[in-house]
Amino acid sequence: MIKSILFWVLAILLAPFFSAVILKVKAFFGGKKGPPLLINYYTLVKLFKKGSVYSTSTTFIFKLGPLVSLGAAVTVLLFLPFGGHPPVFSFSGDLLFILYLLGLGRFFTIAAAMDTASPFEGMGAAREAYFPIICEATMFMILILFYILTGELRLAAYFSGGQPFGLWQAAGSPMLFVVIAFFVILLAENSRVPVDDPATHLELTMIHEVMVLDHSGPDLGFIELGSFCKLFFYSSIVARLIMPFESGYLALNICLFVTSLLVVSMAVGVMESVVARYRMDRVPKYLLTSFALAFFATVITLEFLR
Amino acid sequence: MNSFFLSIALICCGGFATLFIWRNFVLMKATAVSVISIGCTIGLFDALVKLLHPGPYAASFEYLKLFSLSFQVDGLSAFFLVAIYAVSLLAAVYSFHYLNKPEKALRAAVNYLFFSLLIVSMALVVTAANMIAFMLSWEIMSLSSFFLVIYDYESAENRKAGYLYFIFSHVGAMFILVSFGILYGYSGSFLFSSGSTIPDSAKLLVLILSFIGFGSKAGVFPFHVWLPHAHPAAPSHISAVMSGVMIKTGIYGIVRLYASLSLHTPLFGEIVLIAGMISGILGVVYALGQHDLKRLLAYHSVENIGIILIGIGIGMIGVSSGNPIMAVLGFSGGLLHVLNHSIFKSLLFMGAGVVIQKTGTRTIDMLGGLLKNMKVTGITFLVGSLAISGLPPFNGFVSEFFIYLGGFRGVALDKTAFVLSIMAIVSLAIIGGLALACFTKVVGVVFQGEPRSSSAVAVDEKGPAMLAPMLILAAVCIIIGVFPRMFITLALKAVPVSGLGYGRIPMEPFIQMTANITLAATVFFIVLLMLIALRLVLYRGKTIGKAGTWGCGFTQPTVKMQYTGTSYAASILEFFRPAAPLQEDHPAIRGRFPQKTHYHSHVDDIAELHMVRVVVNPVLWLFDRLRWIQHGDIHLYIGYILLAIVVLIFFV
Repeated sequence: MIKSILFWVLAILLAPFFSAVILKVKAFFGGKKGPPLLINYYTLVKLFKKGSVYSTSTTFIFKLGPLVSLGAAVTVLLFLPFGGHPPVFSFSGDLLFILYLLGLGRFFTIAAAMDTASPFEGMGAAREAYFPIICEATMFMILILFYILTGELRLAAYFSGGQPFGLWQAAGSPMLFVVIAFFVILLAENSRVPVDDPATHLELTMIHEVMVLDHSGPDLGFIELGSFCKLFFYSSIVARLIMPFESGYLALNICLFVTSLLVVSMAVGVMESVVARYRMDRVPKYLLTSFALAFFATVITLEFLR
Repeated sequence: MNSFFLSIALICCGGFATLFIWRNFVLMKATAVSVISIGCTIGLFDALVKLLHPGPYAASFEYLKLFSLSFQVDGLSAFFLVAIYAVSLLAAVYSFHYLNKPEKALRAAVNYLFFSLLIVSMALVVTAANMIAFMLSWEIMSLSSFFLVIYDYESAENRKAGYLYFIFSHVGAMFILVSFGILYGYSGSFLFSSGSTIPDSAKLLVLILSFIGFGSKAGVFPFHVWLPHAHPAAPSHISAVMSGVMIKTGIYGIVRLYASLSLHTPLFGEIVLIAGMISGILGVVYALGQHDLKRLLAYHSVENIGIILIGIGIGMIGVSSGNPIMAVLGFSGGLLHVLNHSIFKSLLFMGAGVVIQKTGTRTIDMLGGLLKNMKVTGITFLVGSLAISGLPPFNGFVSEFFIYLGGFRGVALDKTAFVLSIMAIVSLAIIGGLALACFTKVVGVVFQGEPRSSSAVAVDEKGPAMLAPMLILAAVCIIIGVFPRMFITLALKAVPVSGLGYGRIPMEPFIQMTANITLAATVFFIVLLMLIALRLVLYRGKTIGKAGTWGCGFTQPTVKMQYTGTSYAASILEFFRPAAPLQEDHPAIRGRFPQKTHYHSHVDDIAELHMVRVVVNPVLWLFDRLRWIQHGDIHLYIGYILLAIVVLIFFV
C-alpha cells in the first residue's frame, strides 16, 4: 500500500517529463535544439509563483474548473498500476469510474471555458464536447474485448504484473488493432496532432489550448499538471501494451516501463512532426477509425476464442 | 393500508378545499400546499415502511356488486410510491411561490385541484391490483394531467400541445385496454396475478400491445411526440411531476405486466432493450438541437426513459438466459434510475421554472450570465446537470454503473444476447457523452458568460419556497451519489416482485459494489480538498487582478459575439443529420451594402415528421370516407343503436 502510494506520487512527479520528451523530438525534426527536458517543471514553478487575473465575466466555476480537472486526473492515477505494480485502489468496475471521472473533469473544463463569454473558448468547448464522445465509444469497445479476455472489469486486472502479456496470448494479433486504437485515443484525448495542435498560435484552430486562454498563474499550472497526468495515464496504458513483460525484479520492471513510456512519447513526437493536423470536420472520421479497429479486434478475437 | 388511504384522502381534501377559498389567494395557496404536503409526507413514510417490511398489504372495495376495485402494495408499488410522494411533496412546496399571480387565483385553485387528483391517481395506478382499478386510475391520471397541461390555455400553442397529449394518452390507453381485454379473455379474471396462466403466444401479444400503450405514456421513441410539446406548456412544478414521476407509471406498467405474466422469452427483453437504445440516443440528440429550455429537458426525459429501458431490458435478457446476477443488476439499475431521474429531472424543471419566471423567456440563446444573480438556482441546476450526465460522484452515475455491470455480464452470453449487450454498453457510453455535451451547453449558455439579451440582465431569485425544494433535491443527488447503499437496498427490495422467481436475493455482492462507489467518491473528495488547500497556499499574499475577457487582440467585444447554444451543438448535430434533419433559414449576405439578414434553425423530429405522413394523413383520409355515417338524422342514429343491440343479442 505504502509502495503503491509512493508510486502514485512518483507518477505525478514524472508526468511533466514525458511531455517534454515530445517537445524534444519535435525540435529534433525541426532541426532545432529545443527546450530543456525539464522545461515543464520550470513552467510549473513559474506559474505557481505568479498571481492571477480573472475576467469580470467569470464566476466561481472558472476557479473550480482547474481544481476538478486536476483532481480527476490525479484520482485516476490512483487506479493505474505503475509499471505493473498493483495500484492504490482497485475494484470491480473501477474502469467505469475512471472514464466517467475523466468526463467530470471535462465537464468542468468546458464549463470554465464557457464562463469567460469568449467566442473562441466557446468554439474550443464545443469541440471538446464533441470528439471525446467517439473516443469513449472506442474505450468501451476495447473494454468489452478485455472483459471477454479476462472476465474482469478492473484496470489492475489488465495491466499489473505480466497480465498484458496474457492479453496478447489470448487475443493474438488483433491486439495490434487495440494498440493502434488506444494510440489514436491518446492523441485525441490529450489534444495532440492530428486532432489538435498544442503549439499553434491561431485560436480558431485549437481545442484544449483555446479553452484555457483566460486562465493564469497557479490555476493555469493546475490545468497543465492535469493534462500531463492525463497524458501519463494514456501513454502508460499504451506502454504496458507494447511492453507487456514482467521480469520479476522491481527495479528492472520500472526501467522497462520508463523505457516503453519514452518510446510512446517519442512516437507521439514523431507523429506530431510528420503528420499535419486534420481539418476539424475530418476529425470524427479519424476517430471512428479507432472505433472500427476496436470493433474488428473484438469480432476477430471472438472467432479465435470460439 | 389505512395510512395509505389517509394520505390519499388528505391530498384530495387539499385539492378540493381550494375551490371554496380561492378568493383569498395566499390562504388558498397555503392551505393547499400544507394539506397536500402533509398527505404526501404520510404517504412517503408509509411507502418507505412498506418497502422495508415487504408483505402483502391489500384492500378491496365492491363497486355496485358488479366488480371490485382492489389495491395492493408490494415492493415494486412501494418503490414507485416513494418516488411519487417525494417529488409531489417538493413540487407542492415549490408551487407556493411559483404560482404568483393573484389575478389568476381561480385558475391556481383549479390547478391545485387537478394537481391533487394527479398525485392521487398516480398513487392508485401503482397500487392497483386488478385491471378495472388500474384503468380507472390511469384515466383519471391522464385527464387530470391534461387539464394541468392547458393551464395557460390562452395561447394557441398550449392548446395544441394539450390536444396532442390528449390524443396520445388515449390512443395509448386504447392499446392498454386491448391488451387487458386479451388477458381477460383468456384468464376470465380481472386480477393481474391470474395472468400467468394464459398461453405463451397470448402473453407475448399482451406484452407487446401494452408496451406500445405504456410506451406512449413513458415517452418511448417513436411514441414520445407529445412529450416535448406538453412539458413546455405546463407550469414548471407540473412539468417536474409529469416528467419526474408521471411518465414513470408507464415503466411501472411494463414491469408490472412483465412480472404478472412471467413470460421469460428473450424476444420481449430484446424489444425493450432496442427501444431503450433508440430512445436513449435519439432523445439526447434531439435535446441538443432544442432552443427552448423546457423542450430540451423534455427530450432528456425521452433519453432517460431509454436508459431505464436499457436497464430493464438487460434484466429481462438476464432472466431469459438464466443469468440471475445480470438480471438483478439490470432491474435494480433500471429501477434506481427511475428514482434518480425523478430527483434530478424535477430539480432541473424547477430550476428552469425559476429562470423562466424571472426572465420571462424560455429561449436558451436569449439568456446568459444568470449564475451571478441566481446563485442557488445556478448551483442546484449545475448539480442536476452533472447528475443527469451520469458523472460521479452524483446519483446518475450509480444507476448507470449498475446497468453497465449488468451489460458486461451479458457480454459473456452468446448470439443475440451478446450482440445486444455490446450495443447496450456502447450506446450507454454515447448517451453519456452526448448528455454531457448537452448540459454543458445549457449550463454554459444559460447560466454562464454574459447576458445575451436585456431580459437576462437584472434578475433576482426571490421565493424561498421555490429554492428550498431545489436545495433538498440537489443534496439528495449528492447523497445518493456518495452513499448509494441505502438506495440500492430500496431498489433491490422492489426487484424480487418483478417475477424473477429467485426468492431471496443476496444483498452482500451489491452492497459491496455500493461500498466501492462510496470509496471512490470519498477518495476523489479527499484529493479535491487537498488541491483546494494547495490552491489556497499558492494564492496566499498574491495580487489578484480583474480585467475583461481576452478577446485575442480584438478590443471591442460585444455579448452578441458569444458562442450560442445553436452554434455549440451544430457540429454534433451535423454528425447525426440523417436522424435529426436540420432546417435552416438564412438569406445569404450579398453585395457591398448587404441587407439585414437573419438565421433560424430547427431540428425536425423524424418521429413527428413520419407520424403525420404514415399515421395522421391515412387516418384522416379514412375518416373522411366514412363521413356519410354521420349525417345528422336522429331517427337513423336510433336505428344504429337498435341494430347494434340486435347484433349483440344474436351474435355474442
